[in-house]
Amino acid sequence: MMFLKYAAYRFVTMLITLLVVSVMIFVIINLPPGDYLSNQIAELRSTGQADGVAKAEFLRTEYALDRPLWEQYLIWVGFAEGPQGYFGLIQGNFGWSFEFDAPVADIVGDTLWLTVLVNLAAVLFVYLIALPLGVIAAARSETWADYSAAFVGYLGLATPNFLLALLLFYYGHKYFDLPIGGLMSPEFEGQPMSWEKVKSILVHLIVPTFVIGTSGAAAMMQRLRANMLDELSKPYVETARAKGLTPTRMLVKYPLRMAFNPFVADIGNLLPAMVSGSVLVSVVLGLQTIGPALLQALKSQDQFLAGFVLMFVALLTLIGTMISDLLLVLLDPRIRYGARAQ
Amino acid sequence: MLDRCFLRFAAALLCLSTAAHSEVLRESGYWKRQVELGELPPIEERVPDEPLVVDLEAKGRSFGTEGGTLRTMVSRSKDVRQMVVYGYARLVGYNEKYELKPDILRDIEVEDERKFTMHLRRGHRWSDGHPFTSEDFRYWWENVAQNEELSPAGPPEFMYVDGTLATMTFPDEVTVVIEWPGRNPGFLQLLAQATPPFIYRPAHYLKQFHVDYAEPEQLEIAVDNARVRGWAALHNGNDDLGKFDDPALPTLQPWMNSDVQTASRAIFERNPYFHRIDARGTQLPYIDTVEMTIVGSGLIAAKTNAGESDLQARGLDFPDIAILKKGEADGANYRVLLWENGAASQVAIYPNLNYSDPVWREVMRDVRFRRALSLAIDRHMINRALYFGLAIEGGMTALASSPLFDAADLAAWSVYDPEMAGLLLDDMGLTERNAAGIRLLPDGRPMEFVVETAGERQEVENALAIVTDTWRDIGIKLVMRPSDRDILRNRIYAGVTMAAVWFGWDNGLPQSYTSPDYLAPTDQVFFAWPMWGQYYQTGGEAGEPPDMPAAERLMELAQDWKHTTSAQDRERIWREMLHIHAENLFGIGILSGAPQPIVVNRRLRNVPERGVWAWDPGAHFGMYRIDEFYYEDPQAKFTQ
Repeated sequence: MMFLKYAAYRFVTMLITLLVVSVMIFVIINLPPGDYLSNQIAELRSTGQADGVAKAEFLRTEYALDRPLWEQYLIWVGFAEGPQGYFGLIQGNFGWSFEFDAPVADIVGDTLWLTVLVNLAAVLFVYLIALPLGVIAAARSETWADYSAAFVGYLGLATPNFLLALLLFYYGHKYFDLPIGGLMSPEFEGQPMSWEKVKSILVHLIVPTFVIGTSGAAAMMQRLRANMLDELSKPYVETARAKGLTPTRMLVKYPLRMAFNPFVADIGNLLPAMVSGSVLVSVVLGLQTIGPALLQALKSQDQFLAGFVLMFVALLTLIGTMISDLLLVLLDPRIRYGARAQ
Repeated sequence: MLDRCFLRFAAALLCLSTAAHSEVLRESGYWKRQVELGELPPIEERVPDEPLVVDLEAKGRSFGTEGGTLRTMVSRSKDVRQMVVYGYARLVGYNEKYELKPDILRDIEVEDERKFTMHLRRGHRWSDGHPFTSEDFRYWWENVAQNEELSPAGPPEFMYVDGTLATMTFPDEVTVVIEWPGRNPGFLQLLAQATPPFIYRPAHYLKQFHVDYAEPEQLEIAVDNARVRGWAALHNGNDDLGKFDDPALPTLQPWMNSDVQTASRAIFERNPYFHRIDARGTQLPYIDTVEMTIVGSGLIAAKTNAGESDLQARGLDFPDIAILKKGEADGANYRVLLWENGAASQVAIYPNLNYSDPVWREVMRDVRFRRALSLAIDRHMINRALYFGLAIEGGMTALASSPLFDAADLAAWSVYDPEMAGLLLDDMGLTERNAAGIRLLPDGRPMEFVVETAGERQEVENALAIVTDTWRDIGIKLVMRPSDRDILRNRIYAGVTMAAVWFGWDNGLPQSYTSPDYLAPTDQVFFAWPMWGQYYQTGGEAGEPPDMPAAERLMELAQDWKHTTSAQDRERIWREMLHIHAENLFGIGILSGAPQPIVVNRRLRNVPERGVWAWDPGAHFGMYRIDEFYYEDPQAKFTQ
C-alpha cells in the first residue's frame, strides 16, 4: 500500500516536472531573435529568391508563429485553440517540421529505431570492452596489465571522436572496403527487412560503435576497477583464498557481483541515453539518427521538432529515474519513503 | 503588321526545319520499353515542334551518348532543390559568355526594357506530357499571384516597377506579354537566376487544388487528408517548382523526380519531354539518371575521395584539395579541376556604418579608419598560409574576368602598409594607447573591434586569426565572435553588430547590363549598411536614410543606371560605383578567386576544364549545362 502510494505520488510529481520542462524548452528554443520562418525569409531575400517569401509568410499564420509566445506555447501543448482547433501534443499532434517539411511524428518515427540500435550497439560494446578490462586491471592492479588497460581506456577517451572516425573511415575504406558514413546503403532505405539489409547495417555499424564505445569505456573501466579494489581488500576475500578457491571463481563469485551494484543504479540513465546519446558523433558520421535532426532543428529554430525531441528525452529521463527509484525502494531497505510517508 | 508577317514566315521556315530534323530524332534507350508498350509517345511527339538545338561544336564540345548515372552528394535533405539549379532550364538563361539567351522560350522581344513579349515553343510539354502553354503563365498570374488567399501580401515585389503593377496579356497559347509603364532593366536577369521566380505553373495539375476549379467535395477530402487548414494551404504545399521534391508535380527541368526519395537519397530520371536536343537528333540530357545522396557535410570530402561521386563541388572547400589531389594521384576514378570562385571576395570584413554605439559609429564612418584597417591586413601572408598563394590578393571589386575589372580598384588601399595605417589613425587623433598598446577611442575605451562570423567556414576564422596579429601592430584589438548564420543576420539587421564577415558580393562578374543595385544602399543584406537598406526596402518605414555623401552618390548612380539604356553610360556608371567602393572600403575584401575544387569522374565528358563556380549568375554547374555532360562508356558498370 505504502509502495503504491509512493508510486502514485512519484507519477504526479513527474507530470508536474514535465509541464515545467515543457515551458522551459519552449522558452529556450525561442530565445534567439526571430523564428524559423523569419530566418527563412531573410535567407531567401539575401539569396534573391523572391519566390519563396510569400510562401513563408503564408506558413506564419498557418502555424500561429505570428502570435505572442505564450499563446504559441499553449497551442503547441494543446491547452489553447490554434488555427487548427485544439490540436497539440496532448491531442497527439507532435507538430510540423519546417526544416524537413514533414510532420514531426514521421521524422522521429523514421529515425527512432536506428537511434536505439546505434546506442544499444555502443552500450554493448562498452560493456564488452570495459568489464573484462576493468576486472583484469583490478585483479592485476599495479602491473603491466593494469597499466596497459588504463592506457587503452584513456586513449579512447582522449582521442577526439570525429578525428578517430575520419581516420577509421579513411583506412577502413582503403584496406577493408568499409563504407563511409551512414547506417545502411541508400538502396536499402525504406525497404522491408532482409538479410542483405541486416548485413549492410551491421557493416555500417562497425566504425560508429567503435568510436562511441571507446570514449565511454574508460570511465566505466575505472569505476569497475575502483569498486573491485574496494571489495578485494575485504576479509571474505582472504577467507575465500584461504579455502583454496580458484582465483577466477573467487573473483566472479563475490567481489564482481558487489562491484556491479552502481551499474544497476545506472539503468535509469540508460533509457534517455538510448535516444539522446551520441548526437555529435552521429552528426560527424552522418548517421541517420535523431541526433543530427535535433541539432539541425535547434540551429534553425525549427521549434516544433526540437521541442518534441527534447520533450521526449525529458520524458524518458523522468521515467528512467522513476523506475530506478522504485526499484531501489523495493530492493534496498535502507532507503525510506521520505518524511512525507510518516 | 510587318512584324506579324515576318513571324509567320519564320514560323513556316521553322516548320520546314522541324520536319527536316524530326526524321532523325533518336528514341532514347531509357524510355524505349515504355514507348514500345505504348505508355509513352514516341520521341517525335515528345520534343517540341521547335526544340532548342544545342550547338555543341560552337562550344568546343563533343557529341555524347546516352546513358549512365551521375552520382553526387549534398549535405541536407532540402538540398534536392539543387537539381533546379543544376538543371538550369530557364525561360531565358546565361550561356558561358554571360549572354542571356532564350531557353525554354523560343524567343523573346524586349521593347525599351518595358515590354517583354515571350514566345513559347509550340508542342512543348511538361514532364507528364501535358502541353506547356500561355495558360500556365495566366494561371500563375491570375489564380496564384493575385489570389488573396494564396498570396495574402499581394503579387510578388518583382512584378512592380516604381510601385506600378505589371499587366500580363496572353494573345495566344504560345505568346505571353508582360508590360510595365516604367523600365524594368533587370527582369531578364531575374528570370535567369539560379533560383528564378517561376512565373508559370503547371495549371492542369494545380487546378485540382484550387477552389475556383476543383470539385468542392474532392477538394474537401484532399484538404482533410493533408491535415491542413484550407485549400490555400493545400495548394501552397503542392505548388513549389523550386523545391523539387514532389514526383507528382510536373517540371520542365532536364531531370525529374523519380519515386525514389528517402531521407538519404533521391534519384532523378530524364525528363522524356525535355526541350533540348543535339544536332544529331539525340534528346538531352545525355545522362539517364542523377543519384543525389544526402550525407553529413563533414564526410563529403572523404566519400568523394573514396570515389563515390561523379561530379562534386558542393561540400568541398579549398582545404580539401590536398587530399583530393592525393587520391587522384593514387589512381582514383576521378580528376580534380580547379575552378575560379565567382564571389567578389572570398572573405570580406564589413564595418557596420549603422552600428548602434555612437562613438564607434563615428569612428567607422571615417574613411581613414576603414583604410587603415585594410592597409593593416597582410593579404600576401593570408594567401600563402591558407591558399598556397593561388588566390588573388586585393580589395573587393569586379573580378578580372569581368569587363568592368580595373586593376587600380583591386590594389586601392589593399597593399600591406602598417606604417601608413598607423599614420592614418594618428591623423584621426586616435593617439592615446592603454598599457597593452591598444589605441583608445575618443571616449577612452580601448579599441576592441568585434567581428562576428557565421561560424561556418574554417578559412574565415583562419584568415581573421592572421588579421588579428597585424591589426594588433597598429593598435587595434580584433575580437572574433562566431555564431550562426541566422543569428548573425538578425543581429546585423537589428544594428547591434560592430562588424561582420561574409563573402564579397555574390556576383563578382558584373557586366554593364547587370543591375548595380547591390552596390548601392538598397538592401540590408550588404552588411555595411543594414539600416539604410531597410529604409529603401520599406519605403522609409524602417531603418534610416543614407547620410554619407559616398552612399548618397551610389544611390544616385544606381538610379541613373535605371534611366538610361546606352551601354556606354551604364559602363561608366558601373565603373564609378566600383571606384567609390574601392576608395571607401564599405566592405574590406581580403582575397578573391580562390580555387574551388571540382571533382569529376574520369569518364565524364564535356565538363569544362576551367570555369567559374558562382551562384548567380552561374547557378553553379547550371550555366555549364550538365545535360550536355556524358559518359565515355555509359554502359560500363561502376565499381562501388
